[in-house]
Amino acid sequence: MKKKASYITICIVLLAALGVSLLAAVTIGSSSLTIEQVYEIILYKLFGIGDGTALGAGPVHDVVWYIRMPRLILALLVGMGLSVCGVIMQAIVKNPLADPYVLGISSGASLGATLSIMLGVGVALGANAVGGMAFLGAFGISVAVVGLANVGGRANSVKLLLAGMALSAVCSAFSNFIVYLVNDKDKIQTVTYWMMGSLAGAKWENMAVIAPVILLGTLFFWTQHRTLNLMLLGDESAVTLGTDLHRWRQLYLLVSSAMVGFIVYSSGMIGFVGLIIPHVVRMISGTDHKKLIPLSALVGSIFLIWADVLCRVVIHGAELPIGILTSIIGAPCFIYLMVRRRYGFGGNE
Amino acid sequence: MMQIRAEDLKMNIGGTEILKGVSIGAGDGGFIGVIGPNGSGKSTLLKCIYRVLNPTKGEVSLNGKPLHTYSFKESAREMAVVAQHNYYNFEFSVRDVVLMGRSPHKRAMERDNAEDFKIVDEALEKVGMLPFKDRSFSTLSGGEQQRVILARALAQKTNCLILDEPTNHLDIKYQLQLMDIVKELNLTVISAVHDLNIATMYCDKIFVVKDGNIVAFGSPADVLTKEFIKEIYEVDAELLTDKNGLLHILYSPGRYA
Repeated sequence: MKKKASYITICIVLLAALGVSLLAAVTIGSSSLTIEQVYEIILYKLFGIGDGTALGAGPVHDVVWYIRMPRLILALLVGMGLSVCGVIMQAIVKNPLADPYVLGISSGASLGATLSIMLGVGVALGANAVGGMAFLGAFGISVAVVGLANVGGRANSVKLLLAGMALSAVCSAFSNFIVYLVNDKDKIQTVTYWMMGSLAGAKWENMAVIAPVILLGTLFFWTQHRTLNLMLLGDESAVTLGTDLHRWRQLYLLVSSAMVGFIVYSSGMIGFVGLIIPHVVRMISGTDHKKLIPLSALVGSIFLIWADVLCRVVIHGAELPIGILTSIIGAPCFIYLMVRRRYGFGGNE
Repeated sequence: MMQIRAEDLKMNIGGTEILKGVSIGAGDGGFIGVIGPNGSGKSTLLKCIYRVLNPTKGEVSLNGKPLHTYSFKESAREMAVVAQHNYYNFEFSVRDVVLMGRSPHKRAMERDNAEDFKIVDEALEKVGMLPFKDRSFSTLSGGEQQRVILARALAQKTNCLILDEPTNHLDIKYQLQLMDIVKELNLTVISAVHDLNIATMYCDKIFVVKDGNIVAFGSPADVLTKEFIKEIYEVDAELLTDKNGLLHILYSPGRYA
């Protein structure tokens, strides 16, 4: 009983921390607004409190409502999605080194983005053609990985990983080939910048698609905690416990690649979040996915909100790409965890 | 009562015929042993029965119904498996591990209820691991881990238990302890047994597998003669009955032959 109470306490603390993070992060940015100004606008927009003519328009309104707020919500969603997908991928391939991009999703997304930036493929997708192509690339390669892993017998964790590596190499080669062929300095820079990830493109319009995908995906995986636990035992034990993992693994892979696809669509490639957050959370809660998934979602959101704040303030007058920041923070944390604990899904000290 | 039957099982793996038409049966609370030298096919036979492998030919049936007509969940409600000891590297609590035994009784989104927790506690009680409930599984010794896995199998609430050499790598104390617990459950048991002395102590009947065929069936005392052991395992042995009436097999190293 004691354990259970502490889990609920952790949840409440994290929820409170998320609330505080949202309230605090919205007041921090490159344009100097007072805390009062910011909250006046938010209160007016959300609850209609205050004078509409003064608060409902103007530059301050635009900064708070059209730039800071969507960006904050996007950070929350992306952090949540990447962390949850990291947990899922680690279960699918039964390897704690996995991250959301491990099964070739990153290379697929990059190929899509490169095609769009370099060759203008996918202009029909509208304003965010690059993101759209990246989504198609990410999702497409996941389907291909599942297909390839099923050639010559049922897919298992190892075959999925190998298929992911092979297709990832093919996609990277194609991306590099296109970059080499087109050889346009400006476009190359755009590709590079996109690969570093940024939340600056957040807009309310995109949120209508991304929010449901991430939130429903997270909820879905939360309900799947039993099967996810069985994945760590392996196929043989799972069969004796009444679950054939084969179909579930593919379903989970496709759901999480749709989530990652939308994340890539909205914010490019943000590394290390999906790898490190699940590890940090496992140290608190153990491996049981019933706790691991909601806690990872919360910790991931909080982490990315603050990472984005740091990006906005760390260089005066400019913005650091968030992918760089998460790697700078993430890699040393990861090394610390690796040195401090025996590496694995938790396990022996 | 539970009946489990394998009819004329054949199994080819990579062009090699591992099982060449094996039939075995168990039921009514009997403790059935499957013995045989390494590579004889006994583990393959059990894997066909507990659905990890699909036999190339032949059929396994539960209570007269072919196994493939059962969903995996349904068959996991009929038979539970304790396999060879594996090292798991993850931080599940003992209770989490045993709770997994309830999964064949659960729909995809169903929550664990008080009944499940009660069953988990009872199963842990039976194997004497209740005080370890909140410990991390990975911190237990090999013998303790196998008892927890047995508790997980008990939490499945099945009539049949399949043991695939569960006492491998365990010290003799834990081997006897685990088998004692199983024996007292009065379930239908099919167990692959490595150690002939364990077989004589616990099995009501034994099947002997060699080169993918059943070569003998009967009570351990009837089957395991000096000549038979020489023929199957190619070692010299002496047989001895102790004061409790238990049969013991004593092996002689080659240099005394």
